[in-house]
Amino acid sequence: MAKVSCTHCGLEFDESVMIKEQEGERELYFCCKGCEGVYHLLNQKGLDGFYEQLGNNKLEPVSLEASDDLERFDLEGFHKKYVKTNSEGFKEIHLIIEGIHCSACVWLNEKVLHQTPGILEATINYSNNKAKVVWDSDEIKLSKIIETIRAIGYNAYPYDPKLQEEKAVKLRNEYYTRILVGVFATMNIMWIAIALYTGYFTGMEQSKKNILHIAEFVLATPTLFYSGWIFFRGAYYGLKNRFINMDLLVSVGATFAYIYSIWAMVTKKGEVYFDSVTMIITFVLVGKYLEILSKRKAADTLDKILGSTPTEAMVVEGNNRKLKAIETIEPGEIIELKAGEKVVIDGVLTKGKALFDLSVLTGESEPILKEQGDEIVSGSVVIDSLVEYKTTKRANDSLLYNMTELLSDAVTKKPKIEQLANQISGYFSITILLLALLTFIGWYFFMDVGFEKSLIIAISVIVIACPCALGLATPMATLIGISKAAKEGILFKEANKIETMAKATILALDKTGTVTVGRPVVVNYAEYDDYDKNLLYSLVASSNHPVSMGVKRYLLEHYENLEKIDFESTKEVQAKGVEATKEKQKLLGGNIELLKANGIEFTISSENTLYIFAIDGKVVASFELRDIVKPAAKEFIDSIKAMGIKVVMLTGDRAEVAENIAKELGIDDVKANLLPADKAAVIDSYHKDGEVVVMVGDGINDSIALAKSDIAIAMGSGADIALEVSDVVLLNSSLNSLKSAFALAKNVYRAIKENLALSLLYNIIAVPLAIMGYVTPLIAALAMSLSSLTVVANSFRIKKS
Amino acid sequence: MSDNVITLMIGISTALGAFGLFALIWGIKTGQFDDQTKFLDGAKFDSEEDYKDAVMMEQKKKEALKKKREKEKNYRPAD
Repeated sequence: MAKVSCTHCGLEFDESVMIKEQEGERELYFCCKGCEGVYHLLNQKGLDGFYEQLGNNKLEPVSLEASDDLERFDLEGFHKKYVKTNSEGFKEIHLIIEGIHCSACVWLNEKVLHQTPGILEATINYSNNKAKVVWDSDEIKLSKIIETIRAIGYNAYPYDPKLQEEKAVKLRNEYYTRILVGVFATMNIMWIAIALYTGYFTGMEQSKKNILHIAEFVLATPTLFYSGWIFFRGAYYGLKNRFINMDLLVSVGATFAYIYSIWAMVTKKGEVYFDSVTMIITFVLVGKYLEILSKRKAADTLDKILGSTPTEAMVVEGNNRKLKAIETIEPGEIIELKAGEKVVIDGVLTKGKALFDLSVLTGESEPILKEQGDEIVSGSVVIDSLVEYKTTKRANDSLLYNMTELLSDAVTKKPKIEQLANQISGYFSITILLLALLTFIGWYFFMDVGFEKSLIIAISVIVIACPCALGLATPMATLIGISKAAKEGILFKEANKIETMAKATILALDKTGTVTVGRPVVVNYAEYDDYDKNLLYSLVASSNHPVSMGVKRYLLEHYENLEKIDFESTKEVQAKGVEATKEKQKLLGGNIELLKANGIEFTISSENTLYIFAIDGKVVASFELRDIVKPAAKEFIDSIKAMGIKVVMLTGDRAEVAENIAKELGIDDVKANLLPADKAAVIDSYHKDGEVVVMVGDGINDSIALAKSDIAIAMGSGADIALEVSDVVLLNSSLNSLKSAFALAKNVYRAIKENLALSLLYNIIAVPLAIMGYVTPLIAALAMSLSSLTVVANSFRIKKS
Repeated sequence: MSDNVITLMIGISTALGAFGLFALIWGIKTGQFDDQTKFLDGAKFDSEEDYKDAVMMEQKKKEALKKKREKEKNYRPAD
């Protein structure tokens, strides 16, 4: 049958199932009532321009779920948490709009909101789907606004802008403007400086020199005081806490050079150093900005997790149901959960049974059936039916809250290594500053060369030591390392992580999906009677359960020309299997429990998961399934061990399963039965022993442990949140690229050490020369570029290896 | 080249550059670059309607403010 596309959402379906409609010359097709409604609504409002902008993009079909939760948007508790009143007395909220696929969606949402009376401002960000809405509470209620968005086929839920994000964006914008000023001034001061340097060798009239000096002065002033403000502030806070940092060195060096240059400009004696002032400030500022960028990534992750946590729950009191803020719910209250809802408070199931998705907590994708009296933990999601449960804890004591707390801790205070680097640069700064001071005293009091010469020599000590020494050595090598890694499908999110990875002493591996393929694979097959393979194929194809899918893959690999047969009826039996009927034959596919339930006697024992196929009460075939080890895993673990790194396995799975796989791979240290927080605790215990831990994982359940570890690596196919917290992402998800990531990191680290040795050598030679007063601008320029060149050349050797 | 010519050239070119810089910073401060995609699409789907929309929103805000002020003026604390 011919396929036609839905006039609203653009998805294609068979013509027979579509809702047909005639509009003048045009025939309209809709895939559902929802799409039809939205199409007419848009036409009515004169917003049909939407479809022009949409072009060939596809939307999700509009769902017409009854929205009975609208009242919660007008609750006082909700307003207290999400809505703020702006300076003009209007209400303001930040929303995340669901269902935005293209710029036309943004246009439509904005347009509709703009046309709604009472809404004063509505801006939607395309890249993160976040919207800011300002409205007049006298004219319109928030629930009405949400309803308007839902009416056109999107959904909106609030998020708290006081989270990390807003702060991080503000900080980023601040840096951005300061850098812009710095870069602008540097670019302009450079060409003026070239003229001045040429004049230095060829001779230039004093009057022309003066003009260039004044121009440089004009450009350097905003750079030092506006762009450089960050260093002054940093140095001030550092001093206040009795701590000398790199900021102090930069600001002292730049300020002295600036003051001296003004003096040289006014008295028309000596050279000016305005160009050095702007360049130092700008370059070091760019370095700081890169740090800020990486912190922002972490903030985004947190928002995503916290944003998807519900703020209210439906509490049952006798025959009434009432939405209550989760903070106000006491232990012992009864909460109703609908399919698809997330549990926020731990408790015990009191009514009904349902499948729960625990993947956030355990990483195992298989849903688990819970019945009355079973404990349910927060973070899990109800999949299929309506249940009621009694809370046993408060929201703040529940597992989900603890998990997010742990994660936010881990994300916000990570920089153990960074602190060390700061400490080192602190000592370096003190040494250089003291040396400069001693130099000045020495020259002024003992050599009697006058104030000007002494000061210039002291400044030259600071200037020559400052940017090049520690500055270029590390970034150059890591930059080349990063670009090489990217070509091999390894993405390092932060440059300094390469260094940490090279120092790694322990590699912690997650089991499922990391060293195993992460889904059940048929390892044993027994046939007891001849049967039509197409029947079995059609049966397993009707279910999305991982075991069914494993059997389906096995059939596809081993038999050809499989065809799908239409059954008269199919029924999925919770946690047991699938039943179907075909021409009075009764088909059963599932575990032993399913057979027992249907009164079939069959004995088979296996430590693996079983899938048994029976026709009309007779077992014809059985499959044993197991999560198997990836082919390259053994070789990978051997080579990691050869690098002198200890390998451990952390898993949420049962101990026997974990032991078996560990034995197969040659891993001696296995920790099984771990909850997400336990994994993180294990990592912490390693930290206490002074180990540097690399953690490899893929599930959301690994994200706390990933965030805690020094290096987090997510396999490419893993959950989004795991990808967000990880420092290294492997695009092709292979253990081979993980191996080359280790090798590359070691190479880069060696190059960094060589570079540091080279620049140290440069400092050892250049600084004493500067102290002795031999460094004229010419020599300084030569020495600087020579040392930079050797560092760059050495770094390029990484590319070859 | 006379001193005056050099002064003039450096002065004017720096001033022009600074003007561009200020425009850019103003754009960042008012959030015009926060959303890259929208910023580029703005050029693609530019139309008169958007201006009308913007004017309408401004009008709406003005009216709401006016109403609010009037309300505040008429408000008398209960004594």
